[in-house]
Formats: sequence, structure tokens, C-alpha cells
Amino acid sequence: MTLPLEGIRVIDLTVWFQGPVAGQQLADFGAEVIHVERPQGGDLGRGVRTIKAVPVGDWNQYFLVINRNKKSLAVDLNKPAGREIITRLVEASDVFLTNLGEDNLAKWELTYERLRGINPRLVYAVGSGYGQYGGISKPSFDMTVQALTGIMSRLGEPGQPPVYLGMGSGDAIGGLFAALGIMLALWRRRATGRGQLINASLYGAQLFLAAPTLEAYLATGEESYARQQSRTSAANPLWNTYPTADRWVSLCLPNTDERWSAFCASLDGAALANDARFASAQQRREHATELIALLDEQLRQRSAQEWLDRWRGRGIAASAIGTLADLAEDPQAWANGYFVKTRCEEVQREVVVRGLPVQLSKTPGSVRSLGPELGQHTEEILTETLGYTWEQIGELKEQGAIL
Amino acid sequence: MTAALPNVVVLDTTAAFWASMGAALLADFGATVVRLDGPGARDHDGGRPTDTPYHDELANRNKLSLALARETPQGRALLERLVAAADVFVTDLDRAALERERLDYATLSTLKPALVYARGSGFGPDGPDRDLPGLDELAAARTGMMPILPQPAQPPVYGGGGQMYSAVMLAFGVMTALWHREETGEGQAVDVSLLAGNMYGASLDLQAFLAIGGERFLHPVSRLDAGNPMSGTLYPTQDGRWVTLTMPDTDRWWPGLAAITGLAADDARFDSHEKRCETNRLALIDALERAFATQPAAHWRTVIAERNLSADVIEDYGYVANDPQALRNRFVLDVQRGGDSAKTLGFPLFMSETPARMDRTAPYRGQHSARVLSDVLGCSEDEIEALTAVGVVS
Repeated sequence: MTLPLEGIRVIDLTVWFQGPVAGQQLADFGAEVIHVERPQGGDLGRGVRTIKAVPVGDWNQYFLVINRNKKSLAVDLNKPAGREIITRLVEASDVFLTNLGEDNLAKWELTYERLRGINPRLVYAVGSGYGQYGGISKPSFDMTVQALTGIMSRLGEPGQPPVYLGMGSGDAIGGLFAALGIMLALWRRRATGRGQLINASLYGAQLFLAAPTLEAYLATGEESYARQQSRTSAANPLWNTYPTADRWVSLCLPNTDERWSAFCASLDGAALANDARFASAQQRREHATELIALLDEQLRQRSAQEWLDRWRGRGIAASAIGTLADLAEDPQAWANGYFVKTRCEEVQREVVVRGLPVQLSKTPGSVRSLGPELGQHTEEILTETLGYTWEQIGELKEQGAIL
Repeated sequence: MTAALPNVVVLDTTAAFWASMGAALLADFGATVVRLDGPGARDHDGGRPTDTPYHDELANRNKLSLALARETPQGRALLERLVAAADVFVTDLDRAALERERLDYATLSTLKPALVYARGSGFGPDGPDRDLPGLDELAAARTGMMPILPQPAQPPVYGGGGQMYSAVMLAFGVMTALWHREETGEGQAVDVSLLAGNMYGASLDLQAFLAIGGERFLHPVSRLDAGNPMSGTLYPTQDGRWVTLTMPDTDRWWPGLAAITGLAADDARFDSHEKRCETNRLALIDALERAFATQPAAHWRTVIAERNLSADVIEDYGYVANDPQALRNRFVLDVQRGGDSAKTLGFPLFMSETPARMDRTAPYRGQHSARVLSDVLGCSEDEIEALTAVGVVS
């Protein structure tokens, strides 16, 4: 089947997650993405041994999934012959993608200024920590940048520690913005014939992630928008999380009399329906704390499933709050290709990986291979793409410029 | 300076914040995004406690609004002309509404085979739950992260960011499909769901669970039981604030961290990665907990900066609103609203030659009806007047 980005060649000089996952989006849709790695150990992501203190097991899913569908070129950029390979590859590529520090890029002569001189059509994409301007050189990792966005301070019950949105949550959106930026720049290049510099930072991207709550604060400067909000005093008690006899549920109802009646009809007894404190939307808002306490008590009497069965027939929007184990068996996720099975060469068996979050009806992306072995495609790229002879390749190996 | 998407025309019938944000990303970069505003309100999520009028402002900036009575025959005819003239159609209407209104892909692609038709939904185009309401809370509830975000024994946490992955994915999917169309002339449908976006945001936890499994991915892990005391951890400061560290390669960072926390770099309990992260992991957490509690946040910010350590003090939205870095990079913008100065979310993505722009604030319903008819369809003034007179547009 045709892949929509076939014919686009990407030099992917990235490490860990933010950079590699940007390349992965393009590779899923057929771009030729060449993951450039140092011969000694490669991408740092290859070195991941534990996740949450749990050993990764017999295959390193961290590296292999975010570098799927890519090629690996192992080249030592500290050697002139190694840098010459990248220069020749720049001439033959559409995109240069990196999330390495500026000092390394300068040392290896891989700055935007130099590369666009070599190939004016090149789209030069940077995954940074803090943005194009400001000259901040401090290290940027997902969580230390998330710390600055304010979103962590906003989550959880009052008095509880700040809440991190999950491993890689910021890298994931930073990488996605880089992929979008590359597509925008390639689109523009169709008209101008020229590439440009794009910069997708963890900071900017994570502020976007915070938008659903951040925007109200920016617009009004009202303190409460920046603070932790307790579920026990939610302004709309009908749009909240609740405990049941087994699991928690999310309930999402507008605070209207019509929805309130429908909801009351699903409860045991008529005490709440007849309670004058909750007769109107405004009263339910004013007496939210009491209402939530009463609902906590009542909903705890039955299982999540019992409540959901009652609610489904009444058009009440709600869901059980599941675990990753529930998700792994969710038929809805499987039906849409959000999980796929693919062969892992490292362990010689089929494994389950996350699929593609976006579906194109005629030219869907796909998982054709997991991450490459270090340097797996070095010789192929040197001979077929760059026209090196086998003799030259032998010399490069001897010098240690390639693996 | 020219924009990235100067010749792209997008018809936007989205109502939910996230889907409108997806189309707004295209508008920020210069696409002509025309909202086909019906008589109803824009946001059908009404009732979400965090919703404010500012969400509509943000999600519809840089767009045009055409008030179109698309249920009337003349309105329908006009809509079909617009589809023929457009490159992209974006919607988050449910399947029943799309069929009822004849806005489904099968119908519109017959009118224009090269159309890129993007739909945002709650749970994807296939499967038993494809028609559930498109609410991010419901998708997040099924993603498996809510129970493990808080500390143990705390209520599950709804983070709210899942939908934003879907928003960017929508714009990325549209661009990928447009690229293919330019190469081949072929249009197609693009589907993005809230479940997909939430799952993507949970990539690392989810993938680790799929590959390894185990309780640490199903239940909250206490911050005092972190796998690596120096990475992904939170420690309270003397003044009730928090410091977070991300130092996965502890050999590199240990001397600097030891120095600022008053621990001896050669402390025999902590002098190797293995000791720090395995044998004496809990002892190190305890030592760091005690150390960070001895000084206020301001002190930690200073010493972290001095040594360029991979750590930071946890801030709140007040910090962001006034952070020169956020303003300098246009992640946050100063705007005027009703004569008052206010702030709004800016542009996460920098492009050197075709930067995002703030051309106009969110339109009121029908603000650009005449302009759209003239610019997109080439209608004459007389024609526009006639359409307005019979109430097809307003």
C-alpha cells in the first residue's frame, strides 16, 4: 500500500524520546527516517534497563517502539570522515531533525546556517527545551520543564504533592509539534523551493498541553485557576469523579434540571431528588460539598458496573476509571488500530505495541519494523544513497568513522 | 512575511475545544479557516466546570465565521459550493448528525474527491463504542493513567491534557493527507480520537506495561518509593514548595547533587549507580527528603542554576504568565480585551520564515459572511445581498 510520505528523507540525529518520536510520526507514514547514532552505544535510549525500577525484560521497548520504521546509521561525528558522511547526506535529504544541544551541533558543524548553505531546500527542525530565543542552556527534561508550566501545581487534591502527567508526557507533545512543524515547512517549500528553521520546544508544547486550564488563568489572572481543586467541592457536582464499591467512575453531566432528574432516577431512593437543597442548578452549586458527600456515600453501595448499566439506558455520560491492564484489553482500542501486533526480531516473536493515533483512510501509516539494530543500515545508506565504494567503506571502518 | 498555508481553505464545523484547537493550529499558520456557524452555541460540552468563554476565544482565533442556514436548500447549495472550493473539511459532529446533515465523508467526497476530510471523535471510527460522546474525561478514564498519577490512596487524577495530543494530531493528519493529495490528487478521510490522543500521551507507561506488565504500572507509586531517587522525583522545600529532579544517568549528576544537598560525594552508601538506585535507594530518598527540607525554594533555584543541574522548582501558572522566556518565545501573548490588557496562550511552534500570527480574535457568528462568500466563492455583491435577504446567510 502507498504511504503518503514516501520520498521524504529525514536525518534523525536525536536521542531519548522527544526527538525520536517526532521522527517516528514521519516514519509511520512512510518517510525514510535515518536515525543517526554514535558507534559507541548509539542513542542513549538503547541503554534503558529499567522503567519505574522494573527491568525492561528481554526487549527494550523504550527504544524499539519510538524508533520503529527507521533506519540506523552509526557514524562518529567527532571524526572528519564521519562529518563528511553527514554533509553528503544533507545534500540528499529533505529534513534534518535534532534534539541535541547547540554546543554539540556547533562542534560537529551541523548548525542551521551551515546546513542550509549546503542544501537550501532543507527543513531544519529542532526539538529544544525552552524555545528558539532566550539562550537558556540548562538541561531540559520532560519533567523539569513540566515543573515550570504550572500544570503540576494545578493537579491533585489540595495539600497533596504536585502531579506529573506521566513518563514522557511532555516529550510526546514536543515531538508531535516538531512533526507538525516539519510538515508545515515542507508544505511551504512546495511554493518557495526553500526550507526553513523550525523549533518545537518542550516548554511551548507543554503549555499547549496545559491549555484547558491555563487559558482561564492567563485571561483573568484569577488565583483559583492556578491552584489545586478538590473533587469534594467541585463547582458542578455532576461533572466529577466518584468512588463506587469497587472502582472509581467519571461522571460528565451538565448541571441542568433535566440531567439532574435523569440522574436522580438512577439512584436508590428519592432522598436526593426530593432534597430542597439540590432543587436548582444554583442550589446544587451552592451546596456542592454536601451533595458530593451524599453521592460518595450512595455510589459506594454498588459496583461501577451496576451504576454504568443503569446510566447507559438513561443517556448519562460516564465511564469506569480503568487501569492500563483494562486498556490493553479494550476492544475499542484494538478495533481502531491503537494497538498493533508486530514481530520483534530481538526476541523472535510477536509483540504488542501502540499503533497509530491518526488514521488516513486511503494511505494509512503502519508499523513495518521495530527500531533498527545499531548501524544496521550504515552500509546500505553509504553505498546506495551516497555512492561510497566498498573500498571507501573499508577505510571508514578502519578509521572508526562508522561502525 | 508570508504564512505557511496561504492557499489552504478549511471548513470548520467543530464544537469541542480540542477539535477547534486542531483547526486553529492551521489558522495560526495562515490557512483560511471558515467556521460554518449554525444558530447554536459553539461548544456543546456545556457544563464542564473548567470551561470559560476564553476557551472559545482561544480555539477560534484567526478564523472567519460564516453564519449559514445549511438546513435550507439554498444553504445546502451554498455549502456544496464551499466544499468544492475548499481543501479541508474538519468536523467533530457525531455520525448520526453527519448523516442527517449529509456531511459524512461519502457524501462530501462525491462532491469533491480531492477533499481532505478530518473528523475528531471520542473513541474512533470503528468498534462498539464509536458513538459514545466525545468527552475527554471519558477517554481519559479508559486510558489507564488516572489511577496512577496521584500518590497512593488518593482519588484518581484527570490531567486534562489528553485532548491536546489529539488536537495536534488532527493538524498533523491533515497536513500528511494534504501532502499526499498534492502528490497524487487523491483526497481521503483523516480520523483522530480522544482515546487515541490520550493513549499517545501515555506512550511510555503504556508501552512498558504492554512489554513488562506488573503492579507498578497499575497502582500509584509513592514518591518515597521512586525507582530512581534522582529522577522523576519530588521533594518538599522548607517553605512548602517542591523541587523535582530528572537525573536518569546518576553517575553524571551525583557529584553536583551531593554538593548542593550537603551529602558527601564519596558517601559509601551512595557511591555507585547501583547503590543509589537499587541497594540503598530508599536510604537516598530519605536523605534527599531531609536535605531539601532545610532550605526554601529560592535557595534551591539558585544553587540548581549555579551548577546547571537537571532539576527545578515547581512553579504555578502565575510564573508562566510573567516568565520572560515564555513571552519572548511567544508561548504567551499580551493582548487587549475590552480595553484591558490580558494574556493568552501563544504559539508553541517557531518557524523562521512563516511564523504563526495573531491576525484576529475569535469571530462572532457571521462576522465574515460577506467576506467569505466573496473571497472563497467569488460571489458578487448582488448575490451576497440576495442570499442575506432570504436568510441563507446572516
